[in-house]
Amino acid sequence: MLVSKLIRCSVVLGTAVMAIASWSASGSQARAEDVIRFGAPLPLTGPLAPEGIKQQQGYDLWAEQANKAGGISVGGKKYKVEIVYADYQSNTPRAVQTTEQMITQDNINFLFGAFGSGAAKAASTVSEKYKVPTIAAAASSSQVYDQGYKYLFGTFTPNDTLTTPLTQIIKAKAPEVKKVAILARNDLFPLAIAQEMEKSAKANGLEVVYFEKYAIGTLDHSATLSQIKSLDPQWIFVTGYINDLLLVRKQMVDQELKAPVVTMIAGPAYQDFIESAGQTADNITSASWWHPAERYEGKDIFGTTENFVKLFHDKYKSDPDYGQASAAVCGALFQIAIERAGSLDRDKVRDELAKLDVVTFWGPVKFGPNGQINSLEPPVFQIQGSKPVVLFPQAIKQGELKLGVN
Amino acid sequence: MTRANLALLIVLACLAALPLVGGAYALRLGTMASMYAILALSWNVVGGLAGYPSFATAAFFGFGAYATGVLLNAGAPLMLSILVSLVASLVLAGLLGAVLLRLRGHYFAIASLSLVGVLRELVNNATDLTGGGMGLNIPLASGSSIMADALFFFYGMWALLLATALMVIAVSASKLGFGLVCIRQNETAANMIGLNATLYKSIAFGLSACFVSAAGGLYAAWVHYIDPSDVFDILYSVKPIVMTLMGGLGSPLGAVCGAFLYLGLEEVVWRNYIQIHSGVLGVLIVALLLLLPHGLISLRFRNFWRKAKHV
Amino acid sequence: MLAAQIIINALVLGCLYACIAIGFSLVWGVLNVINLIHGSIIVLGAYLAWGVYQSMAISPWYVLPVAVPVFFVFGYLLQRLLLNRVLHAPVLVTLTLTFGLDLILNNAMIYFFKADYRKLTLKPPMGSVSLFHVVVPVDRLIATALALALTGLLYLLLRRSRVGRAIVAVRLDRDAAILMGVDVQSIYAIAFGIGAALAGCAGVLMALIFPISALTSTSYLDKAFVVCVLGGLGSVSGALAGGLLLALVEGIGSAAIGPAYATTLSFALLIVFLLFRPQGLLGRKGFE
Repeated sequence: MLVSKLIRCSVVLGTAVMAIASWSASGSQARAEDVIRFGAPLPLTGPLAPEGIKQQQGYDLWAEQANKAGGISVGGKKYKVEIVYADYQSNTPRAVQTTEQMITQDNINFLFGAFGSGAAKAASTVSEKYKVPTIAAAASSSQVYDQGYKYLFGTFTPNDTLTTPLTQIIKAKAPEVKKVAILARNDLFPLAIAQEMEKSAKANGLEVVYFEKYAIGTLDHSATLSQIKSLDPQWIFVTGYINDLLLVRKQMVDQELKAPVVTMIAGPAYQDFIESAGQTADNITSASWWHPAERYEGKDIFGTTENFVKLFHDKYKSDPDYGQASAAVCGALFQIAIERAGSLDRDKVRDELAKLDVVTFWGPVKFGPNGQINSLEPPVFQIQGSKPVVLFPQAIKQGELKLGVN
Repeated sequence: MTRANLALLIVLACLAALPLVGGAYALRLGTMASMYAILALSWNVVGGLAGYPSFATAAFFGFGAYATGVLLNAGAPLMLSILVSLVASLVLAGLLGAVLLRLRGHYFAIASLSLVGVLRELVNNATDLTGGGMGLNIPLASGSSIMADALFFFYGMWALLLATALMVIAVSASKLGFGLVCIRQNETAANMIGLNATLYKSIAFGLSACFVSAAGGLYAAWVHYIDPSDVFDILYSVKPIVMTLMGGLGSPLGAVCGAFLYLGLEEVVWRNYIQIHSGVLGVLIVALLLLLPHGLISLRFRNFWRKAKHV
Repeated sequence: MLAAQIIINALVLGCLYACIAIGFSLVWGVLNVINLIHGSIIVLGAYLAWGVYQSMAISPWYVLPVAVPVFFVFGYLLQRLLLNRVLHAPVLVTLTLTFGLDLILNNAMIYFFKADYRKLTLKPPMGSVSLFHVVVPVDRLIATALALALTGLLYLLLRRSRVGRAIVAVRLDRDAAILMGVDVQSIYAIAFGIGAALAGCAGVLMALIFPISALTSTSYLDKAFVVCVLGGLGSVSGALAGGLLLALVEGIGSAAIGPAYATTLSFALLIVFLLFRPQGLLGRKGFE
């Protein structure tokens, strides 16, 4: 009886103490002198966790490389790089809260944007208010950049830069393709890019015979796929995250749904997709903002694309995809801007970012007036023989389009 | 007015003094705390007083968020949008309540849970109106400085909290409140003595929904971007329940204290246990339920006030 | 023939849904506890099958006999040590408790296995069979057959064995069962254990068909809910009926009004059933 009372009291006291501690404590300890702190709010748990972890890998690789070289040079003095992570649990409002917390409590100098267009846009309001330069590593929707903000930059070009070259290649190399079926996940990026695809298809004279959205967490697509099969399209375009695409691909094989061209965004860019799908991944086309096969001679800390891929491979034992590369290039771009500004003054760094015109391992980087990059030529690629082969742009083309997906 | 209700008002008055001691971030936490308190207090009306375990809080939170968001996008002023959401949800919940509250126990819990799912999917599919899965961008309600913004939303949420608290106090002192307690104890008997259970339950459900919707609306204006999975999140239904259980079922003061304590815990856990914070939260929930089934209230006021009756 | 294909797909899927829901239905029907950990246990079973296949190249169906005792013990202990203490507490407390437990289990899985999705692909792949223009994948057929076998086993257990009959007795009338000398505490733990074992086995079978990640646990749980309400609690035939109905509604709805609405439809159906026929298609009235 007494014991249970004691337990209860201690539980309450314990939680009360923790509650009080939470209000008074702040995240950071006394900081070392010559350190530049970058805030990185990421979805480390929740549905976006796989993507969040990829970003973390990119940031960490950059920080490691920068510190190996002694740090970032600011007006002659070397400053070490420190990245402060916080988990916003794949929840957009928490992303906003985390961003504010990092600025006010954790004393970060600069910010990496939250993952995805929605969270990046929401959190950018805070970073703009506090005038903290932010580079978003994974925000492609142009709506993110339409608020006239001066402190927000992004390394993904708008969605239509992925669908337009793709449609043009298909139209040129596969003239027998007349009907397109589009299946999109009902989520920000997958739906947005599917809508771009619809526009692109119509603009190029293709008939969109099917356009449907599937709910997040759908376990079974068999009815949808049977319907698509009955419409007999020559091009099947599916968007979603890697698990959705694996499932759809498997069920396509199950139902014996074949077509000359099958495009999936954004799974095939990932190594896990190719490994898990095995032979069924063959001849699937896709597009993304970057590909390890690219060959740029960068002026950033990583230098050539090949070097970046090699460094990544050494550290993580796998090839980087565009998510990790984008995160790393955000760090590299900050480094260039800070070194050019010669100071940690946020406005000066911001101005340097705005006038950047430099080639990096990610590609040529120049930000448009709204902060979104406009200098990239996103590659279109196809999986051939379990390996991604770049079809576009011409400069890094590795092979020709192959038709027929079984 | 009972001692506990007086204490509640005093707590709220103390909360209003927060801007004197904290900066913008503290105000942000304060706004969240007020919001959680609104959810917990509102839930208490249907869950604590009437004894119906409702999981529909998230449904009305999302409803309010989207209703206000859509109205703001159409150019309506903030106050009006929130007011419209409040009234709309009062009516909607009242009507739904008349239908759903015919169910009891587990079945009611599940029906209220599915309400969240139905509304979420409806919003998801009305892409033209709500942006569907792509989310809704909401224009900035005020374009001024950081502190002014933070103060505005803090006091806005606080005002809603005060309104909710007054509503709850009024209900518990009124015939409605008494009727709800009768319904919780024995609905059949209550019906037999002439109490119009359906009417009372519907009103309770409506009241439990309207301030939640208003809070959702203010929240949407605060964060500028909402999407269906964010606002129709089942956690917005579960957290108020945990908070109320922590504080003491049936007691408004308990609900508010539970909400503040829960927020404090959440902040501590979230900051310090990045990888395992939801697990730690789970452990806290389990520990609280097993060790403290009657909530904090039963501990402190044991001597001068009877334990809040649990369902 | 599109219609035939959709119906056959739905029937196969329906049996899988029934398999997902049967353990959940048993626990709800017998203990009157809504077990929110159910989805996570299924995922755990899937990880088990995947892990075994990765390291020892043993197919999932051989993992089933191992999964049964492992998960049974897990469920038994969970009930005996934790859930038993709140068994007679209000609905609210048990729901919130299992919610908290689910947070713990889910987080543990994400921590140890990471959130990325795994896929168990059999090498060589099993292909599909084609009958009168209707194509059915072989792995689903085998999983369906095994799922039906499991539900059949459960049915026999409940009807023929002593323990099974005791479980049914407790479900029908707890007090009368006590009077008949049934050790109800023990039966509760056994029933929960069986529920967990069924969930684990369902997970092993699902590993073949769906991607594996702790993030899918809510999807499984949602399906289990709907199947139970549609079909009725605590009975094998109820789970089957509910599963088939759900799959048919989803499939036909998907084809008729689009996959996005299919989910809304299943929720709406759930509410309609709750209002007008809460005991489900084959359940017994008067269950609270």
